[in-house]
Amino acid sequence: MSAVTNATDPGAAGSGRDDVLVDVQDLQVHFPVHGNGVLRRRVGSVKAVDGVSFQVRRGETLGLVGESGCGKTTTGLALLRLVEPTGGRVVFDGTDVGSLGRGELRSLRRRMAMIFQDPYASLDPRMSIGASVEEALRIHGLHGDRRDQRVAELLETVGLNPDYASRYPHEFSGGQRQRVGIARALAVEPDFIVCDEPIAALDVSIQAQVMNLLRELQRELDLTYLFIAHDLAAVQHISDRIAVMYLGRIVEVADRRAVYDEPSHPYTRALLSAIPVPHPGRERGRQRILLHGELPTPQDPPSGCNFRTRCPEVFEPCDRVDPTLQACTGEEHRCACHLYGVEGVEVEPSHHPDARGVAGRP
Amino acid sequence: MSDPVLSVRDLHVRFGSKRGVAHVVRGVSYDLHAGETLALVGESGSGKSVSTLALTKLIPMPPGRIDGEVHFGGRELVAMSEAELRSIRGNDIGFVFQDPMTSLNPVHPIGRQLTEGMRHHLGLSASAARDRAVELLSLVGIPDAANRLDAYPHQFSGGMRQRVVIAIGLSCEPKVLIADEATTALDVTTQAQIVDLVERLQEELGLAVVWITHDLGVVAGIADRVMVMYAGEIVEEADVDDLYGSPRHPYTVGLLGSLPVLGADEPGELTTIHGLPPDPTAMPPGCAFHPRCEFRDDDRCRDEHPPLRDADDAGDGHRVRSFYEVPADVREAASTSSQVAEAPPNAGDPLPAEASEGDR
Repeated sequence: MSAVTNATDPGAAGSGRDDVLVDVQDLQVHFPVHGNGVLRRRVGSVKAVDGVSFQVRRGETLGLVGESGCGKTTTGLALLRLVEPTGGRVVFDGTDVGSLGRGELRSLRRRMAMIFQDPYASLDPRMSIGASVEEALRIHGLHGDRRDQRVAELLETVGLNPDYASRYPHEFSGGQRQRVGIARALAVEPDFIVCDEPIAALDVSIQAQVMNLLRELQRELDLTYLFIAHDLAAVQHISDRIAVMYLGRIVEVADRRAVYDEPSHPYTRALLSAIPVPHPGRERGRQRILLHGELPTPQDPPSGCNFRTRCPEVFEPCDRVDPTLQACTGEEHRCACHLYGVEGVEVEPSHHPDARGVAGRP
Repeated sequence: MSDPVLSVRDLHVRFGSKRGVAHVVRGVSYDLHAGETLALVGESGSGKSVSTLALTKLIPMPPGRIDGEVHFGGRELVAMSEAELRSIRGNDIGFVFQDPMTSLNPVHPIGRQLTEGMRHHLGLSASAARDRAVELLSLVGIPDAANRLDAYPHQFSGGMRQRVVIAIGLSCEPKVLIADEATTALDVTTQAQIVDLVERLQEELGLAVVWITHDLGVVAGIADRVMVMYAGEIVEEADVDDLYGSPRHPYTVGLLGSLPVLGADEPGELTTIHGLPPDPTAMPPGCAFHPRCEFRDDDRCRDEHPPLRDADDAGDGHRVRSFYEVPADVREAASTSSQVAEAPPNAGDPLPAEASEGDR
């Protein structure tokens, strides 16, 4: 499906209501920062996730891409309430996840699983991999009498020899360990899996194996993924749609092709231009958009558009209007940037030390 | 071509371990010329880092053992004493390592770490070294350099710390810079800034660079020549265009085929290389890649070790360590030129004029 047909079909966004599995509305995760005084008074907060809204449709993979510190992992954790959101709502298949009590939350977590980045850290070194996978079954009281058999099935599903169940994590390579992590996530037969940088710690040829496996499992088991990564090439390979995050916010969301063909937010464009492509001719001829300055601290983000301190396109409204996601090249392609019309909430402009002059627009 | 600045011949590195001798670098030879960037690529454990650390004997010995020859500036380094080597390390041969948090000392201000080498190697006075440190920090793009000299590493961001490490690597005007995964820990936008910086410095200073990485995207942009390492050996060596345009070794073909390509139309299955690299304490007698190779025609490579041979008659130094030819159609499919889609139409151009009006 191309972005264009998506975009010109006005029904596409509206008719899909029932197709939405995860609906995230204005999600906020602010971590308190305490002072050094005796009272350890709260002196501010780190706005790790600051008003994020997106939807994940049944059966799709939504890629969430951004650089370190942009809040993508915290967003993933907040969906499962592995960190408590401080604002906004997460609706999973019609249920408001924030309203659930402990017991209800546990049963909901049977339907939502997570795969973590570091297969070295996410497995208990003192537990055999079979026991690690079985633990997930035991916690949820699944397959009481035939757990061993189910563990063997799961290992087989992820391409591991079931005879390895009694071995320990250190006996496996990184890729194999990540397969164990995937088997553990599949144990509860979830509908939705948050994959948090599942390939970042792996060598390239192993990354390919894990990505192929994830796609194959999605087809066979009808899974929905939120695929979080900093590697846009990998995200684009595996995703149907992509959301780009910067400093706690989503700045652009679009069909996987549109992000590449028509990157609209200046940050997306800079990110895309910075990604090295394994093609010498292309690399030599390329014009990089080098971003200046440093990522501002999420404790004191710039007023208005928080990318304005580094944006090559910055102009007058950027420091006083907080941009909202709006349609840019089509209804399905949304971007939070005033270049596509000044839309958003008026705020008090703050001076920011790194701010570039408003005349910075070339 | 001029004489190489660095010439490595039949370099071997072995480590004694409880499980036996791990032979991690197995006969690596190459020449590096002034102004050239040589990329060393391979997966973790392929010996790419150790082979460069061994150039100036920066590995613990024992348990390590280095054999072979390293010629640099008319001298041979492997037989050299520690004291003599100390005058070369950080002086004629500069290093930039992956993780700036571990290569900088957290309890000393960066100014001290930056001037240390210059005072020792170049005999500069404290104030001259300080002036030069300010120059270097400005060169690598750290704003307000004079006031940052007394700052500690934790007061810098990852990208800024890596710039400091690069400034240290360059401080004594080395002839050769060894960058070991210098941008791997950084975000892509920061990586772009660092790559840009190293290329600029190379032009200005005529530096020869050995760039070690597993990122085949970065290599495409920065390298003149590429050596692919597998299990401690060079399995393929070529000019950067040849390597990506017409990979010859089954491992290189597999590696390139396993990359997801940005902007690909319909993502298909990625090629994978089944199996795992061999245990360095128990290398197979023949080709180290043979248990994973899909293109072997017979069992010859199981027992017989393939030499690094010319890949074709072109005489362009494209060499490959394999008895077999990967079929042309497979090579074509893996060659990234066939996969990389059209350049993004506007990523490098200014935003289209109509965009500012919106087109809703």
